[in-house]
Amino acid sequence: MTDKTAKLIFWGGTLSSLILFLILTVDTHRQVGALTHADKLSAQVLDGKRAFQKYNCNDCHTILGFGGYYSPDLTRVYSRRGPDYIRNVLQHPEVAFANSFRKMPQQHISETEIGNLVAFFEWVNNIETNDWPPQDSKKYRAANRLSSAAGVSRGAALFQENRCFDCHKLEGVGGDTGPALDQAGQRHDEETIKRIISQPQSVNPQATMPSHEDMSASDVSAIAEFLAKQKGEGR
Amino acid sequence: MIAYKSQRIAYPYFVVALFLFALQVVMGLWLAINYAFTLPQGLVDVFPFSTARAFHTNLLVLWMLLGFMGGTYFMIPEESKRELFSVKLAWIQLILLVGTGVTALIGFLFGWTQGRPLLEIPTSLDFLIVIGALIFLYNVGMTMIKARNWTMTQGTLLAGLVTLALLYLFGIPFYHNLSIDWYYWWWVIHLWVEGAWELVTAALFAWLLMRITGVDRRVVEKWLYVEIGLFLFTGIAGTGHHYYWIGAPKYWLWVGGIFSALEPVPILLMVWDTLRHVKERKAAINNPVVWMFAIGCAIYHFVGAGVWGFLHTLPQINYYTHGSQVTVSHGHLAFFGAYALLNLTVFYYVFAQLKGITNFRQVLGKWGFWVTSISMFLMGLAFGVAGVLQSYLERKLGLGYMVTHQNMQLWFHIVLVCGLFFLLGVIIMIYDLLTLKEEKAR
Repeated sequence: MTDKTAKLIFWGGTLSSLILFLILTVDTHRQVGALTHADKLSAQVLDGKRAFQKYNCNDCHTILGFGGYYSPDLTRVYSRRGPDYIRNVLQHPEVAFANSFRKMPQQHISETEIGNLVAFFEWVNNIETNDWPPQDSKKYRAANRLSSAAGVSRGAALFQENRCFDCHKLEGVGGDTGPALDQAGQRHDEETIKRIISQPQSVNPQATMPSHEDMSASDVSAIAEFLAKQKGEGR
Repeated sequence: MIAYKSQRIAYPYFVVALFLFALQVVMGLWLAINYAFTLPQGLVDVFPFSTARAFHTNLLVLWMLLGFMGGTYFMIPEESKRELFSVKLAWIQLILLVGTGVTALIGFLFGWTQGRPLLEIPTSLDFLIVIGALIFLYNVGMTMIKARNWTMTQGTLLAGLVTLALLYLFGIPFYHNLSIDWYYWWWVIHLWVEGAWELVTAALFAWLLMRITGVDRRVVEKWLYVEIGLFLFTGIAGTGHHYYWIGAPKYWLWVGGIFSALEPVPILLMVWDTLRHVKERKAAINNPVVWMFAIGCAIYHFVGAGVWGFLHTLPQINYYTHGSQVTVSHGHLAFFGAYALLNLTVFYYVFAQLKGITNFRQVLGKWGFWVTSISMFLMGLAFGVAGVLQSYLERKLGLGYMVTHQNMQLWFHIVLVCGLFFLLGVIIMIYDLLTLKEEKAR
């Protein structure tokens, strides 16, 4: 290779890539407003982003997949957990994760800031991310249910699809935020379980569990039927 | 054995860098403990994972930049055949940057942060860093201008340093839109490590190869042109592999996928080039440790940055691995291979030169190299297995995050053990470097 060819590769390679990158950057700016629903970027959402940065949330949690890998991704936390759950965790992480093997610091976030953070998460929830993350993608979750439903009951498959395992344990598997459900069928009858699922506060006013009023009646029945059968060896 | 007195300024830069490196590794161990064990709430409230991570990553950036700066100050007089423009300015710059860095770290303890990963340093301190960078560029630039002995290597180095400083500016503002925020965050992070830093280290590496192998400048610099051209061709548009899932247009899936699939090519060329220069050397090998680090750096760079990056850069794979421990695995292997080993190669070469040593003792350096290289590789593998588990359990099967992490615990314990060995290796190297002596004749 001659010196001239080498220089040609250098300038040609660098400039072509740089020009392409800058053109696409301009175009991204043109499109990003629509893709992120920038018109809904209210003052409260911005204050929420400021609070998100102030408490350095992003060095434990990822958002859009970037940040610390120590805690769950927050891109779709609003639809996954709902506003009540988010408020509850932000107010009292030491209670919410008392039994968890991984903790969240109590940072004494003010009520206003919590409201702003929820608004921020609600806005982030609607960013069009090419259906990322897969664990929150409706398409992938439905496919999972269909594949796992082949072997188990519909109720069990729905229990998994709706992420009940995130908070509840069955047979020692699952989260610690809510009670273990191995003996759910001993403690409550099927009708009560249905009510707990759709409106937990109607049975226990102190419950911190999010309500599932938008879940179809047949799904609620299927899960309740499955749980009513859980009468684990009484302790 | 140094030709110019002002080259001595590299020494304090390197000593501080080594100290910060050790601190970074200790912090890393603490992070591994956070993963492997349940810590009491009271401790988490006072010193959460987030603060420790900010320490770990900011120390990384600081020690590596100080290493590059010290390396530049050592190389420039030799290349331009002139003393540095001002040793005093170099001292002021060092004190300013280290002072700002330490202030920032202490600030993190009290929650003083910009709250953006890797760019946690608060805006007011950012301006001090910009001043430090300007002093550096002025000092290096004036030396080159006054000397008027332009070489390709100097040009590459200066271009890399100027780009590095300019890109930092994109990390300073508060962005309203989270997607735009990450868009420009990557102008700092990606275009640093796959752009500006590659230029700086390619120049330092080319200079070092010329020095230790005695291969003709024309040959080395010709290949430097080709490598950098390919690095930038794949690296600049390759930034797109970070834009798949952030709310940017769909064409980034294509642009990012294609350009970053080519990213291993220039690294492979660099490995081949290095091995060829070593084979065609015109100088005798007097300090095998320096050669070992140089060749190790080229190969590790290819494995950690090239192969590991390639493994999860295609959108079809990245959909499941994005933001998982697979990223952690790649990050550790790539930074160690491409930048930590490069700095250590320069440190070994320069320390021997500064102390006027022809043949130093080799045994500790070899131990340091192998212990750190192997333990980091195993750590990368452990993170990788954890990441594959996470991609499958959390992203494919849809188990919750915490349930998934419970199934990954074993691998974090293995990471912790690897980390302990890595720290041991780092301590051996630092001790060796600081006490480098002429080996007694046998």
